[in-house]
Amino acid sequence: MRTLFALGLIVFSGSATAGDLSGADLFEKKIRPVLVQICYPCHSGKTPAAGLHLDSPQATHGVVESGALLSAIHREGKIKMPPAGPLPDDQIADFEAWIKLGAPDARTETSAAPPYDFDQARKFWSFQPIRDPAPPRISDPAWNKTAIDRFVKAKLDEKHLVPLGAASKRALIRRATFDLTGLPPTPEEVAAFLADPSASAFDKVIDRLLASQQYGERWGRHWLDLVRYADTSGCNADFPVPDAYRYRNWVIRAFNDDKPYDQFLREQLAGDLLPAKDDEDRHAKTIATGYLAISRRFGSGASEFNLTIDDTIDNVGKAMLGLSVSCARCHDHKFDPIPSHDYYAWYGIFASTKYAFPGTELYPHAADFVSLGSPHQAERLKAYQDESSALDHRIAAFNDGREGKDLSKEDRDKEIRRMKERLIVLEHDAPASPKAYAVSDGASANAKIQIKGDPSHPGDEAPRGFLTVLGGQVLPGNEKGSGRRELAEWIISSPLAARVMVNRIWQGHFGKGIVGTPNDFGARGDRPVDPELLDWLASRFRESGYSIKAMHRLIMETRAYQMASGADQADLRIDPKNDFSWRFDRRRLDAEEIRDAMLDVAGDLDFSMGGPHPFPPETSFHYTQHVQFFAVYDTRRRSVYLMQQRLKRHPFLDTFDGADPNATTPARAPQETSLQALTMLNGAFVDEQADLLAVRVGMAQSTDVARIGYAYRLVFGRAPSADELRQCEQYLLKAGAAFKKSGLPADRQPRAVLASLMHVLLASDEFIFVD
Amino acid sequence: MTCDCSRRQMVRSLFTGSMLFPAVLQQMFAETGDSLAPRAPQFPAKAKRVIFMYMPGGVSHVDSFDYKPKLIAAAEAGQTAKNGRLYVRPHWDFKPRGKSGIMVSELFPHVGDSIDGICLIRSMHGDHNDHFQATLGIHTGSVTVARPSLGSWVSYGLGTENQNLPSFVVLAPKLPYAGAQAWSSNFLPGCHSGTRVTAGPDPIPDLTRRAPTQEIEDLELGLLARLNRKHQTSRPEDPALAARIKTFETAYGMQMQMPEVLDLSKETDATLQLYGLERGSTKGFAWQCIVARRLAERGVRFIELIDQGSSDNWDAHTDIRSHEPLARNIDQPIAALLKDLKSRGLLEDTLVVWTTEFGRTPTADSPNGRSHHNVAYSSWMAGGGVKPGIAWGETDDFGAKIAENGVHVHDFHATILKLLGFDHTRLTFRYAGRDSGSRMWREMWWKGFWFRKW
Repeated sequence: MRTLFALGLIVFSGSATAGDLSGADLFEKKIRPVLVQICYPCHSGKTPAAGLHLDSPQATHGVVESGALLSAIHREGKIKMPPAGPLPDDQIADFEAWIKLGAPDARTETSAAPPYDFDQARKFWSFQPIRDPAPPRISDPAWNKTAIDRFVKAKLDEKHLVPLGAASKRALIRRATFDLTGLPPTPEEVAAFLADPSASAFDKVIDRLLASQQYGERWGRHWLDLVRYADTSGCNADFPVPDAYRYRNWVIRAFNDDKPYDQFLREQLAGDLLPAKDDEDRHAKTIATGYLAISRRFGSGASEFNLTIDDTIDNVGKAMLGLSVSCARCHDHKFDPIPSHDYYAWYGIFASTKYAFPGTELYPHAADFVSLGSPHQAERLKAYQDESSALDHRIAAFNDGREGKDLSKEDRDKEIRRMKERLIVLEHDAPASPKAYAVSDGASANAKIQIKGDPSHPGDEAPRGFLTVLGGQVLPGNEKGSGRRELAEWIISSPLAARVMVNRIWQGHFGKGIVGTPNDFGARGDRPVDPELLDWLASRFRESGYSIKAMHRLIMETRAYQMASGADQADLRIDPKNDFSWRFDRRRLDAEEIRDAMLDVAGDLDFSMGGPHPFPPETSFHYTQHVQFFAVYDTRRRSVYLMQQRLKRHPFLDTFDGADPNATTPARAPQETSLQALTMLNGAFVDEQADLLAVRVGMAQSTDVARIGYAYRLVFGRAPSADELRQCEQYLLKAGAAFKKSGLPADRQPRAVLASLMHVLLASDEFIFVD
Repeated sequence: MTCDCSRRQMVRSLFTGSMLFPAVLQQMFAETGDSLAPRAPQFPAKAKRVIFMYMPGGVSHVDSFDYKPKLIAAAEAGQTAKNGRLYVRPHWDFKPRGKSGIMVSELFPHVGDSIDGICLIRSMHGDHNDHFQATLGIHTGSVTVARPSLGSWVSYGLGTENQNLPSFVVLAPKLPYAGAQAWSSNFLPGCHSGTRVTAGPDPIPDLTRRAPTQEIEDLELGLLARLNRKHQTSRPEDPALAARIKTFETAYGMQMQMPEVLDLSKETDATLQLYGLERGSTKGFAWQCIVARRLAERGVRFIELIDQGSSDNWDAHTDIRSHEPLARNIDQPIAALLKDLKSRGLLEDTLVVWTTEFGRTPTADSPNGRSHHNVAYSSWMAGGGVKPGIAWGETDDFGAKIAENGVHVHDFHATILKLLGFDHTRLTFRYAGRDSGSRMWREMWWKGFWFRKW
C-alpha cells in the first residue's frame, strides 16, 4: 500500500474492517488468507523455514503466545517478517485484533499431515477401473442399431432432446473425408458414393479413407498437436533440429499402420529399450523416442535442463494420462492427489535419461544424437559429437574464466584459438551418417525433491516410480536403467490411458470429447457427459488390441455420427452447446485443412510424404539470441510437412489458429478474425491457388457454364443450382468489364476474371465449413 | 471471465438487429461476452490506454536516470568492486532537471526537460539476466515458459474502442529478443495478440488490396457476401458463420483505416518538427511515436513501441558510448509524444511507460562497456494517473543493488493493470482446467502482497 500511495496512484477503499468481525470470521476472512498467501510458501510443507509450521494451528498458537509473531510483523526484533517487506498497516491491525480475541484458529491439526487421503482420492471417477457397462435399451429402432447410438439416445431421451435426421449422403462423404484425411472428396469419389445404393456404401468409404496415406497425415497431426511437435528446439536462438522430422514421419506411419495404442505409447517412452527384430525395427523404435527429445529447450547454454524435464513431465501427464502432473513441481497439486513427491518420482526417470542435445548459442555443436547407421558410422558420429561438444564447453569455460586462469592472457588466447581451429578441422570432416533426435539411458539415479521447484534447494529423495493414486509402483532397488520402460507399462495399465485416448478419438469426430477437457481428467476438468459410454468405448478399445482404426469404424457407423448439422429451437433451448449430440456440430476447417484443401482443389497438392527440411548445413549453426534462426520453407506438400518453429509460428498456420508448438494443444480453438479475412482477400497463397484453380477449370472445360459447374464440384462437392450458375455467369461478365478497365493486358484478362471468381469460391463459408 | 472471440461479431450483429436469433442463444452470447467489445474495468480506472515503450538490450541506468556520485568518484579513483571488476564512470554528466530537480543525464536532454511530467522508478528489478528470458519477463512476467503478453491481458480485460483497428498494436521495425512471443496472447484468444505494424507498403500482412482495382474488390466482396448469406440462410443459428461474414466487413474497414492512420500528410509542420520527423520519412522512433499518438487517438488500447531489434541495440558490452545514437533516436520523439498527448488532452487517460529488460552493471565488462544487470535498473511512467515529478525507489551508492522500495517487474505490471482498473489477481482466464492469471500475477501474490489491497 505504501508503494502505491507513494506513486500517487489511486486510493481504493477496502472492505469490512477488523472491528466488524467475530473472531472466527476474522480468522477466515483476514488472517487465514495472509497465512496461506504470505507465510505458507516458506512456513509449511515438509521442510518449513526455521522449522516453523504456520500451517499447523498448534505451532501458530505457539508463536502467538510467545509474542514472536507480532514482533516479527512489527519488525521490532531481529526477525522481520515477511522478508519481502512489511505487511500493510490494515493487515497488521487485523493480526492485532485477532490476537486480542484469543487468536481463534479454525484449522484442524491434519493440515500439516500428508496432504491427501489416497483411498478417498481413488474413488474419483477417472481413477476408477474401466467398467464395461451394457448399452441401455432403446425403443426407437432407428437408434437401436449400434451400442453407441443406444447410449446417446438414452441420454437424449433423458434430457427430452429430439435428435435431427440423417445428413445427406453428399454432406456425409465430405464430413467423413475431411475427418479422416483433412482433405475434401474428389468429384469422382462423391459421384461413386452417391451412385452406390448398397447398405455397405459408407463402410466402403471409411475403409478407403482409413487405407489412404492421407489418414495418417491427418490423425498424426492430431497427435503432433498434443506433443507440441516442432522442428526447432525452442532455446534462445531456436536452433533447428534437422532430424526431428523422423519422429514426425514415425507418428504418421504409426497411424497408417494402426500401431496398437499401447505399443505406440511404449515406443515413444522407451522404444530404445525394447527388443527389436532387426536394424530397421531398432531404428524405428529409437526414432519413436523423439517424443521425449522434442521436449522444449531453454536458455543459451545447457544449464536450464530442469525446465526441459518439467516440459516432458507436463506433456507425458497431459497427453498420455490427462493429468496436470507438472502442477506438482513446486508444491503438492492443489486439486488432484499428486504430491510433489510423485512429480520427482517421474523426474528421476527423465533425469536418468540422456536427451539428444541440439546445440545452443554457447554450445553450438549437437551431442548425444543416436546413430541410425552401421557400427562404424555410429562410432564416428559419437567421436565427432563428443569431441566437438567437449570443445564447446571448454571454450565457454575459457571465455568466462572458469578454466585457464593460471595461464597468461597470451597463452589463454592461443589455447582458445587452437580449440577453434580444431573445431574447424572436425567440422570439415563431420560424419554425414544418419542419426535420430532421440534419447538413451544415462546414469540412473533417483531425484531429490526440489523445494518450490528450485533445483538449488534439494529436499528428500523421491524413489523413481508411478503416481501414488494410480498404484504408486516403484522401481526395484537394483534397477539399472532409467525406468522409462516401467513407466510406459504403468501408464498403459492405468485406466486413464485408454479413457483419455478414446475421448480424443471421439473428439476428433464430433469436435468435442465426452470429457470436454481432453487434457484434464482431474478434479478441475469436466466430468464426462456420459461416463458409461466413455467406459464402454475404452473397453472396446482394449478389446480390439488398442486399434485406433477399429474405433473410427465403431464411431462412424453410428447414427449419431451420420446426423445432420442443422438447428432445432427446442433442443437449442435445452442444450445450446450440443453436449448431448442431438445434432452433428458444423465446424470450420483447421489451418492445415484450409491450406491443404486449397492446394488440393487447385490441383497443386504434392501428395508425397515429406522428408527433411532444407535447413542450412549443421556445421554452420551459429545462431544466438541476437540472431535467432528463422526461416519459412515453401512446399506444395501437405501442411503437416511444413517446417514448424517453436519460437516463430508459420504465418499461415498462425493466422488460422494452428497448434502451439510450445505447449500441448488438446483442441484447436477456431476463431473468426479480421486478419484471417485479410489473408483470404489479399494473401499471396490464396491468390496463387485461385489462379491455379482457374487454370485447372479453364483447361478442362471450354464454356463458362461448364467451368462454373466443374469448379463447384471441385470446391463444394456438388453442382451449382440454376440460380448460382446464373449468378456466377453474371459475375464473370461484370468482372470482365471491370478487368477491361484495370489496365491488365488484354491477353491476361480472361484468366484473371476466372481466377477472381475462383478466389470468391475459395474464400466462401461453404468451402471453409464442414456440415 | 470467459472469452470467445468467435462470438464477438455475432453479438454485435445481434445488437444491430441484422439477424434474428432465439432468446436462448442471445442469452448464451451475453454470458460468454464479446471479447473485443469495449468493456468496463473492475473498478474506476485512471488510464484507458497504454503506450508501452520497450528498449531492447538493457539501457544503463547509471548513465541515464540513476545519478551515483560515489560511482563517479570510485571510477575516477580506479577502484574495483567486490567482484574484482573496475568501476566505470558514467559517460554523461547529470543535472537536476525541472522544478522537481530530479537528476537526469545529458544522454536524455529532452526527456530531462519533461521530467516534471514523469514518475521515475529507480528501483526496478527482474528475474533473469539474459536478454531472451528477461524480454519475456518484462512482457509476460514469466522468464521461462511463454505466457500472455501484458498488452494481451489489457486487450482481454478492456476490449477495444475501434473495431477497424487491432486492439494491441506493436510498432517494431525489427524483431526483439524472443520475437513475436513478446506480444503473443499465448493461451488467451488469438484476437488479443499484438499485431505488428510496420512502415511501408504492407503495414499489416495482407492488408494491401490484391485486386487490381477497387471496383474488382467490391465485386468480389459483393459476390462473397451473397454466397455466404445464402449458405447461412439454410444453416440458421450458427454464430461462427455470422462471425465470419462480419470479419470480411472488419477486414475491409481495416484495409481502409490503417493507411489513413499511417498517412502523416495532414500532420502540421509544427507537429512534425516537435517530433523531429522529416516530412515523408517513416524512419526512426519519431515515426513510431507520432503513429502511436494517432493510434491512441483512434481508440487502440495498447500500443507498444520497440526501438531496436535483437542486435545493434542497447546491449553495450564493449562501449557504453553506443548508447548515444540510440538515445538520440528516441529522446526528442518521446518528449514530443508527452507534449503532444498533453496538448490534445490525451495524456490524462493515456499511460505512457518506458522500460527495458534490465540495466547495466556499474562495473566494467570491457574497459568501456557494461554487462547485464537485472537486480537494479530504471524505468518510468507518465500520464494516466501516475504522480508526476517524483522519483520512486533508490539503489545503493553504486547503482548496484536496490536500497529502498524495490519494484519487481511483477509489481510494475500490477501497477499498470491497477491504473487501468484491474486487480491483477482477479484478471484471470480459465485455461488448462484452472483460472490462470499470468505468472506475473501469481507471483505478485507472494512477493508484493501489499499491492493487492490498496
